[in-house]
Amino acid sequence: MILPRERLLELFQAYPRDRRYALPLLQDIQKQCGYLPKEHIIEAAGYLGVPLSRIYAMATYYRSFSLEPRGKYVIKVCDGTACHIKDSKNVLETLKGLLCVGVGGMDKDGLFSVETVNCLGACALAPVMMIGEEYFGKLTEESITEILEGFRKREAVVAGI
Amino acid sequence: MKKTILVCCGTGCIAGGSLAVAAALKEKISELNADAAVETGIKQTGCNGFCEHGPIVKIMPDDISYYRVRVKDTAEIIGNLGKKPVERLLYRDDAGKRVKSQMENPFYATQKKLVLRNIGDIDPGNINDYIFRGGYEALKKALSTPPEDIISEVEKSGLRGRGGAGFPTGRKWRIAAGYDNFPKYVIMNGDEGDPGAFMDRSILEGDPHSVLEGIAICALAIGASEGFLYIREEYPLALRNVKKALADAENAGILGDSIFNSGKSLHLSVVRGGGAFVCGESTAMITSIEGGIGQPRAKYLYPTEQGLWNKPTVMNNVETFSNIPLIIGDGGAKFAEIGTENSKGTKVFALVGKIRRSGLVEVPMGTTLREIIFDIGGGIPGERRFKAVQIGGPSGGCLPESLLDVSVDFDTLLSYGAMMGSGGMIVMDERTCMVEVAKYNVEFLAKECCGTCVPCREGLRKLLDILTKICGGTGDNADLEMVESICEALKETSRCGLGKTAANPVLTSLKYFPGEYEEHIAQKRCKAGVCGMGEAK
Amino acid sequence: MNIQIDGKTCIAEPGESILETARRNNIDIPSLCHHEALPGLACCRLCVVEIEDATGNRLVVASCVYPVAESVTVYTNTEKIKKHRRTNLTLLAGHVPEVKGVLLAYCREYGVIRDDSHMKAVVKEKCILCGLCVTACEALGNSAIQMAMRGIDRVVAPPFNEPSLNCIGCASCARVCPTDAIDCESVSGNRKIWGKTFSLVKCAACGEPYATVDELDWLKGKLLDTELNLAYCPNCRRRVSVNTGK
Repeated sequence: MILPRERLLELFQAYPRDRRYALPLLQDIQKQCGYLPKEHIIEAAGYLGVPLSRIYAMATYYRSFSLEPRGKYVIKVCDGTACHIKDSKNVLETLKGLLCVGVGGMDKDGLFSVETVNCLGACALAPVMMIGEEYFGKLTEESITEILEGFRKREAVVAGI
Repeated sequence: MKKTILVCCGTGCIAGGSLAVAAALKEKISELNADAAVETGIKQTGCNGFCEHGPIVKIMPDDISYYRVRVKDTAEIIGNLGKKPVERLLYRDDAGKRVKSQMENPFYATQKKLVLRNIGDIDPGNINDYIFRGGYEALKKALSTPPEDIISEVEKSGLRGRGGAGFPTGRKWRIAAGYDNFPKYVIMNGDEGDPGAFMDRSILEGDPHSVLEGIAICALAIGASEGFLYIREEYPLALRNVKKALADAENAGILGDSIFNSGKSLHLSVVRGGGAFVCGESTAMITSIEGGIGQPRAKYLYPTEQGLWNKPTVMNNVETFSNIPLIIGDGGAKFAEIGTENSKGTKVFALVGKIRRSGLVEVPMGTTLREIIFDIGGGIPGERRFKAVQIGGPSGGCLPESLLDVSVDFDTLLSYGAMMGSGGMIVMDERTCMVEVAKYNVEFLAKECCGTCVPCREGLRKLLDILTKICGGTGDNADLEMVESICEALKETSRCGLGKTAANPVLTSLKYFPGEYEEHIAQKRCKAGVCGMGEAK
Repeated sequence: MNIQIDGKTCIAEPGESILETARRNNIDIPSLCHHEALPGLACCRLCVVEIEDATGNRLVVASCVYPVAESVTVYTNTEKIKKHRRTNLTLLAGHVPEVKGVLLAYCREYGVIRDDSHMKAVVKEKCILCGLCVTACEALGNSAIQMAMRGIDRVVAPPFNEPSLNCIGCASCARVCPTDAIDCESVSGNRKIWGKTFSLVKCAACGEPYATVDELDWLKGKLLDTELNLAYCPNCRRRVSVNTGK
């Protein structure tokens, strides 16, 4: 989603024009848009007075940024060591199968994207994933199917009203 | 007598549904209060550490702990208040007996909670809870103590950095305090990136004020009036709780323009990390806060001399800061009574992987691996055998069964090729393939290193290639020679700490599990059945 | 100040790096990412040396950024150092199949045997990611390119991998590149670099193309010395100014 210009400027106004605010500003843009649209990166570089190449490098350096549009719900599958030895690979395969997407991809309804992360810090519940800010632990194929259904129902309710 | 119901609302328990449990309990209490048989209050606390058995509900002062509580259990819990505990929700110990108190639970019985002193008992969102338990008294004491004496006290305690390298905290502060170059800065490193470690998340979520107090004391000691708290963005709850704690402390006049009306100021801001493991390295974090691309610096300069914006800077880890109020409050000497000769105090470990009781564990330095894994953790689930434990994150080492009796402290771990790191302890059983684990760690680091220097970027790329080959059954012995020279070059010629330690998982698995490499190379067989070329059991 | 390098007493300027001191004193230390006009980048790790402090402790450091100090003794060519250099060269050579120029010379000097048996399908890669091009572009104030991505995915690229608005086609990046990795083509009055095509300007005296139109426009904006005659190439300009007494 591309923001209207005045909304974008509002985001900018929260920060002084200084390169030290590049990271939080990009984070704010991503929070609003779900990803970092190219035109906003260019505007942000202009606003902060930082060379575009540096802002672009930053956006590709930090793992949390995406330059591609993502689903409404971003599923972060933990591949930390504890999850890895408890077969997080299966979680990923299950999700890929259920949603017909690859890692980094978005399903056809634009509802879910699947990503892997290093560690969600909920290792005692391995294997774990996070959707939005919600954690889901001790995942099995069944529980993953249920969780996705839950989100779909939530969506249907929202859309139904 | 008034009962307080404590509902654990750490990330782990929330994932298990503790917010709904808390809401249901509240509802039941409001119904109950109508007849006022028992006066009851409810509190949402931080992480109790035993996340795997969450959601956890405690009844105080009766000291009853319930595990795996569901919404449907809440009526019974409230109904039984002041009467008999709900038997089926109690923990069943190794002998099969249901135990009421946390202290009877083998997971908690031998732990020593200093850093985790408040977590699970206080509401992290309520500053008064912290103050009620003596919080911010150490900061008041520090205000009337000359900086020199604060530093001496920290030196006397023998506290060493809990973030990985174990540098003496007092010495770090003394160096930074010694420079007459203002402004100075204090940074909290909360970019807990080691997979398998979550103690910093728990502390930030469950007792944020203890960390703020430690930071404030550090600022007074070195003469800083501005600081930054760098926290991973994967920890939304920690970010929220810390921001709230910061605002509350400022509103209460504890931090901000004038600390307890002393005229001394400290302004702290929260920086959200961008999801780069290497930003946990101190100079990379500094670059990231400055607004640059978060990669380690090239120059041989310590942050204590030229850190943030080239000014003297002290950076400490979350757990380190959380220890400080105890040291200033009770004195360094008292703190130094705990632990070993060169590693003082306690350490919080995240005990995870193939283990019966997994969670956060705080023990005195010098406790053995066996005590942690078998006494507290209850050993390996099922009939399987213990194989290895990885300590110190992806750059740590995997130690075998024969080393289970070594003391867990900074220097002993280093001498065996592992390291304390931030305290992740990942237990592996016979169904874990050590070559595959080495490959996993190398792949992690290859993706997570900044990619600037040759030994790290190209060395890890090559190591990954070789280990992938070995796991696929096409490796040969010549590969192992190359592995050795790469590991040496990594250790000695890399630019930063990430590269210098990146060879550890490979080196330790080669040292302690050479047979597994041989099997993969000569017999094309993976006994653990992980690598897909051998026969799975 | 005096500093001992390989048993030789060398005069060093305070603030200098070990590499600078050594090279001024005719002690050769190999390096791929060092340029005397730019700050030390400490990327290639070929310039590693061993230093020994007063207590006899030895440490391996990158000489291009390690500041000289009287209290340390430097060894630039120990067996250990040679081995590390060989390993790092082997790694680089494994990643860039078309080893040429200075990298090839170092590979020969250190006895690196090309071995790409481990590598997956080797791509036509020449870049060793030393960062000199990025630093040169930054030093000129254009910052048209940067190191993008992280870890083993790292690449040098203009923003979004598209022709950069900031690029003036000066080709400074290509000139500092130690492995000739930046495609820079000058044919029939045009220069193509980083996916962008620039018109070349010919020198009013010798007729050789010497700069792009964008480069000269950029220079005009930067220069205070309006006397500088941009119609000539640097060589002819010098000659002309000598002849005219300017």
